Amino acid sequence: MNFRFIIADVKVSFKSWIRSKGTVFWTLLFPVLLIMIFGSIFSGTDDISYDLVIQDLDQSEFSESFIKQLNQTSMLRINEIGSSINIEKYMKKEGNFSGLVIPSDFGNSIQQASVNENVSCELTFHYDPSQQTTTSIVQTIISSTLQEYNLAISGGRHVITMQKEETIGDDFEFIDYFIPGMIGFTIMTSCIYGSIERNTKYRKDGILRKMQTMPVSQMDWIISKMLFMLFLSFLSTSVIILVGFFVWNLSINFTIFAIIIIIATSFLFSGMGMIIGRFVKEEETADMAGGAITFPMMFLSGTFFAFDQMPSYLQLIAQTLPLYYVNEGLRNTMIYADMDKTLYFTGFVLAFAFIFFLIGVLVTKWKED
Amino acid sequence: MEKQVQCPKCSQIFSVTGTSGELKNVSCPQCNTVGEVSFSQKEPITPAIKVSNLRKEYGSLVAVNSISFSVNKGEVFAFLGPNGAGKTTTVEMIESIRKPTNGSIHIFGYEGESSFNLIKNRIGILPQEFHSFERLTIRETLQYFASLFEKQANIDEIITAMNLQDDENKLYKQLSGGLKQRVGVAISLVNDPDIVFLDEPTTGLDPKARREVWDVIANLREKGKTVFLTTHYMEEAEYLADHIAIIHKGNLIAEGSLDELIQRYGKGSILKFSNVNFHEISQALNPSGYTVKKTQNHSVSVTIEYKDQILEVLSILRHNAIEFDTIDIHRPNLEELFLQLTGARLREVEA
Repeated sequence: MNFRFIIADVKVSFKSWIRSKGTVFWTLLFPVLLIMIFGSIFSGTDDISYDLVIQDLDQSEFSESFIKQLNQTSMLRINEIGSSINIEKYMKKEGNFSGLVIPSDFGNSIQQASVNENVSCELTFHYDPSQQTTTSIVQTIISSTLQEYNLAISGGRHVITMQKEETIGDDFEFIDYFIPGMIGFTIMTSCIYGSIERNTKYRKDGILRKMQTMPVSQMDWIISKMLFMLFLSFLSTSVIILVGFFVWNLSINFTIFAIIIIIATSFLFSGMGMIIGRFVKEEETADMAGGAITFPMMFLSGTFFAFDQMPSYLQLIAQTLPLYYVNEGLRNTMIYADMDKTLYFTGFVLAFAFIFFLIGVLVTKWKED
Repeated sequence: MEKQVQCPKCSQIFSVTGTSGELKNVSCPQCNTVGEVSFSQKEPITPAIKVSNLRKEYGSLVAVNSISFSVNKGEVFAFLGPNGAGKTTTVEMIESIRKPTNGSIHIFGYEGESSFNLIKNRIGILPQEFHSFERLTIRETLQYFASLFEKQANIDEIITAMNLQDDENKLYKQLSGGLKQRVGVAISLVNDPDIVFLDEPTTGLDPKARREVWDVIANLREKGKTVFLTTHYMEEAEYLADHIAIIHKGNLIAEGSLDELIQRYGKGSILKFSNVNFHEISQALNPSGYTVKKTQNHSVSVTIEYKDQILEVLSILRHNAIEFDTIDIHRPNLEELFLQLTGARLREVEA
C-alpha cells in the first residue's frame, strides 16, 4: 500500500471538494435545508395510519359499548389484546403506533357517575412519538368519541378522561426520527455521485489513463477515495446532528453501531457508484443514472415518508432497497436503542456493503479495452 | 557510454556511465548495494523504445496492423497521421494503457506489461485531451503528481522552464487552453523522466499557444529527453522531429528523418503558381508529361524531377500565353509527401 499516494490523494480530494461550492452545498447544506423544511412541516402535523390496539381491562358492557362506538367511526382498525399482555411491548413488536388501555374501573365509574359528581375514570393512550401524524389523528378520533360518550352518560361532564403515554421514549420528537433518514440519504447521494464523478469525469479527462501510467495501484486509488468518502460521510453526519441539536433540540444516541452503519453505508453506496460509473460512460448519462437510482430509493426507503404508510406492494419493494436497511438500522441504534433490530439491520447493511463494494472493485477498470 | 542497470537487491533501475571496456564499481542509489558493471566494447545501443509487429484488433477492425519501429534516446520522435490512423492506440499500447492483440514492446530493454511497473518512474505521459483537477492550482497540481513518484524533479524549475510563474497560483479551470497544455506537459515532467510521451499536445490550440508548446518540446530535446510525440500536424512534425513515422489506416507507411523521407519519397521539387487557370495550365503541361495539381483557390502545383525542368515549364507557359502572379519553388514538404504516399491530402483524410 502506497501511503504517500493515499495521503496526497486524500488532500487533493479535500481541496477539490472544498473549492466546489456546488458540491459543498449538496453535501452539507442541502440536507440541512431538507431537515429545516421537513422538520417544520412534520413537527406540527404528522402522517396517517388508523390502527389502534385496545386493551380492555374492564370487560364490561360499558367498555364494550365504548369500543363499539370507536368502531362505528369507521376510521379505526381496532385490534383487541388480552389483559395479560404488556401493551407497550406488543405495540413495539407489532409496529403499532397507537394503543388504548381501558381501565378495570371503567364500567363502575360510569355507573357511579350519575350519583357521584366526583367520580372519574382515565383511559391511557399509548403512542409512538415518531409517528405524530398517525397518532394525533387517532388521538383526535378517540377524544371526539369520548366527548360524545361523556355527553351521553353525564350530559357532558368529563367522567371519562384520557392521559397520553409515549411508548418509545420520553424526549423524542419527529425530528429525532427524521435525522437518521437524512444521514442515510446524504451518505447515499454523496457516495454514489462522488464515485460516478471519479469514474466518468476522470475517465473523460484522461486522469485515469494518467494514473495507470504512474507508480500507483488501482487499489491505492480506491482506498484513498474511500478514506475521503468516509471523511465526508462523518462530516455530513456531524453537521446534520449539530443542526438537529441546535435548531431542533435533538436527542439521539450516537453508538458504535451508528459508526459501523455509517462506514458500511459509505462502502455500500460507493460500490454502487463504481458499478454505475463502470457501465455508464458519459458524464451527463451517469448523472441521470445516479438520479434514477437515488431518487426512488430516497422516497421508498422511509427517508421522508413513513414506511408503514406506503401500500403493501411498495413496502415489499422497499425491503429490497439497501437504504431502507440503513435508515432502519440508524433509527434502531440512534433512537429506539433496540439492540435486536439494530443487529438485524446492521447485518443487512454490512452484507449489502460487502456485495456492492466487492462488485464495484471488481468491475472498476483503469485499463482500456 | 550510458548503461541502464537494475539492482539485484531492491530492483531499482539507474543509469551508469563509463567508457568502452571499463569495469566500474557502482552502488545502488536506493539501497547502497555495491556491485560491478562492465562496459563491453561491443555493447549494443538499446533504443529507448522498440516496437515489433504491434497489432491491435477490435473485433474485425484492425486498428494497428503489425507495425515496427524504434525510438532512439534523446530524439524527438513524431508519430504522424490523420485522426483515426491508429496513433493513440499505438501510444497507449506502449504506455501499457491498452493491451496489444499481438507484438512486443520494449522500453529501455524491458518488455511487456509485467515490466512496465519497473519503468513507470522513468517515463512521463501527457494523455490525449488530458484535463487535470479543476480546482487545484498549477503548483498544487504539480506537487500532487510529483508526490506519487520516488524521484521528483524540482517543481520551481519546471514552473520556470514551462514559463508558468505568473499563473502558478491560478486554478487549473481558470487557465487558457494553451496554458492547460503547458501544465499537462509540466505534469509529465514532475519525475524528471527519460522518455516523455505527448499525445497530440497542440490539438485545438491557436497558433500562438501551439508555438508555445513547441518551444517547450524543443526545450525538452535540448535537455536530452526522449520525446514521443503523436500529432496530425505536418508542420509540427517538420518543426520538431528528429525522426518521423507516418501511420495511415493502421499501417506504418514511412519512417525516417525529414530529409530521409523527402529523399526517399519526395520527387524533385514543387513549382507552385498562384492566380492561374487550372484547366489552361493542365492542358499546356500535361502533354509534356507534367502532373498539375490544384492546391488552393487559383493556385496549382507542378512536380519536377530536375532543376532544368523549371525553365522548360516556364517556357511552355509563355508559349501558351498563360499568366500567373507568383511562382514558388520548394522541395516537397510532409503534406506533399503524404499526398504522394496515400494519394490523398492529410486534411482530406481527416475530413
